[in-house]
Amino acid sequence: MSVKYIPVQWNWNKYIYDAVMLLGAGLFLYVFLYAAPGILSHERPINAQVHNARAFGACAFVMLTVILCIGPLARLDPRFLPLLYNRRHFGVMTAFVAITHAGYIVDWYFAFSASNKYEALLFANTSYGQLAGFPFEVFGIFALFTLILLAATSHDFWMKFLSPPVWKRIHYLIYPAYLSVVAHVSFGILQDQQNHVFTAIFVGGALAVGVLHLLAALKDRRTDAATSTAAADWVEVCDVAEMNDGFAKIRLLANGERVAVYLNEGRLSAISNSCAHQNGPLGEGRIIDCLVTCPWHGFQYDVTNGRSPAPFTEKVPTYNLKMDGTAVFVDPRANPPGTYVEPLRLRDGTTS
Amino acid sequence: MKQNRGPFFVGYLPAPEALRGFLLAVCVLFVAGLAGFGLAIGVAQDDPGDGAFRFDYGRQTVTGVVELTPYPLLRVTEGNEHIPAGHTLILAGTGKTNVESRAIPLEGQLAQVSGVMLQRGALDMLQLRGGRNGISAAEGAVTPMETVSLGRWKLAGEICDGKCLAGAMRPGRGLAHKACANLCLLGKVPPVFVSSQPVEGSEFLLITGPDGTHLPEKAYHYVAQFVSLEGEVERRGDLLVLRLDPETLEVLQ
Repeated sequence: MSVKYIPVQWNWNKYIYDAVMLLGAGLFLYVFLYAAPGILSHERPINAQVHNARAFGACAFVMLTVILCIGPLARLDPRFLPLLYNRRHFGVMTAFVAITHAGYIVDWYFAFSASNKYEALLFANTSYGQLAGFPFEVFGIFALFTLILLAATSHDFWMKFLSPPVWKRIHYLIYPAYLSVVAHVSFGILQDQQNHVFTAIFVGGALAVGVLHLLAALKDRRTDAATSTAAADWVEVCDVAEMNDGFAKIRLLANGERVAVYLNEGRLSAISNSCAHQNGPLGEGRIIDCLVTCPWHGFQYDVTNGRSPAPFTEKVPTYNLKMDGTAVFVDPRANPPGTYVEPLRLRDGTTS
Repeated sequence: MKQNRGPFFVGYLPAPEALRGFLLAVCVLFVAGLAGFGLAIGVAQDDPGDGAFRFDYGRQTVTGVVELTPYPLLRVTEGNEHIPAGHTLILAGTGKTNVESRAIPLEGQLAQVSGVMLQRGALDMLQLRGGRNGISAAEGAVTPMETVSLGRWKLAGEICDGKCLAGAMRPGRGLAHKACANLCLLGKVPPVFVSSQPVEGSEFLLITGPDGTHLPEKAYHYVAQFVSLEGEVERRGDLLVLRLDPETLEVLQ
């Protein structure tokens, strides 16, 4: 959370995250560039520029694959949520690795002619009407520009400037970008491989991304089925005995909104389940220091009014609650973001 | 839904102790995994072959008769250790350029050429130095050079740019290299057909368009693919020249 924009709000977790990320990417490149050639028994080495391009290209693919696995992994097992926390740094680093790959390619394959190398990149191969020999470079160009766009707009300033829904839609471009990378590799280097180790890693990585997203989607669908409610003036949430202090019950309302009903020190309050930052699931967080804390990036809200504590300004909608016996009911009509709602005080002995 | 009542991570707070072991294991797995992938992919690179610039030979200077196919050739009459007399040398410029503007005025004449050699097995090429240092008229009588027609052939193989194939780039052929090859061919770098079966003992044939033209643009779509084609083959010294009939180009699966 930040009240003003600074390039990076560093903390120890971010330092550790970035150090591990840099160490991993650095080791990948070092081993590929300096250890592997000694093991290869080629009569003459691969051109250094081609070798470098392959190293950075393969590294970018592996990094992007890991990045795209983090989201569904965190949905399937909350222990992976810390990997989500600073993922944008991972993405920015991946964009730089991909730019380096593209730089080696353009400066080698498309240089040395009478034409401008960037123009040559676009006109050298125009066999768009065929699969074998298709100009796979266009897939790489699309993916690269998308990665650059996402990296350039990754800062919270852009999310505020563009609004979270627009920002989120833009950043969903990571999926077409990944598909484009898959096409770039499939129509490019895979067409020439005699040794299929990279093919196996590539297919395994792409499959891992697909399967993890599928599993996460199935889990979300099961969750939605278990938490969905029919349209009504007051929607039953649960029996109060099922609630735990500091935690929430989430219900999917008939209008598609999700509400998080929290029990906080013997009192019930309800706010939107969507964090104003990146739509993180507030109901899967918990109350820390009397504030609902988002499990994704730690944004916090007063559970009674949906407002972030001063000097922060984020607000989420609140909901009215009532009880009928021990059953908790929520009014599905949300209050405007930041509206105070008097918490429902429970009688002693009504919760677990 | 089932509540997660396990350790709860907040980015700006110290990681919960109960989560630290798991996170440490993830970090170790991530770093080791990336290093492992780097090694696995790095050692799986295919051998690019023996083609290379032969800088170790030093600058090569030989004399011969210039011919245009239209790609320039030199029928060597006075050779050296690496380029013997009787050899037919394909001529190229630096980078993705040709030497036609310098070779055309010397067609059919005796000339001295100088440059660095590229060599891949039986295929070689000379990358000429700039200007008159690369090619200039030589004194002496021109020996008549024979061109022997070998008739029409149907061949299977790959159209490549001759310079990258000969070793300017390693690897210098294949579909991943197609755009680079096309750019060379657009620069009128001599193209070479790599036949799947030797033709009169030769695996490499200089390939041109029909009737003394450059490789037609239609053929660019077939570059780097396994194709079948037909054309007239002629022998110029120890080099075979294939005059492509572009209507016969066909991709083979």
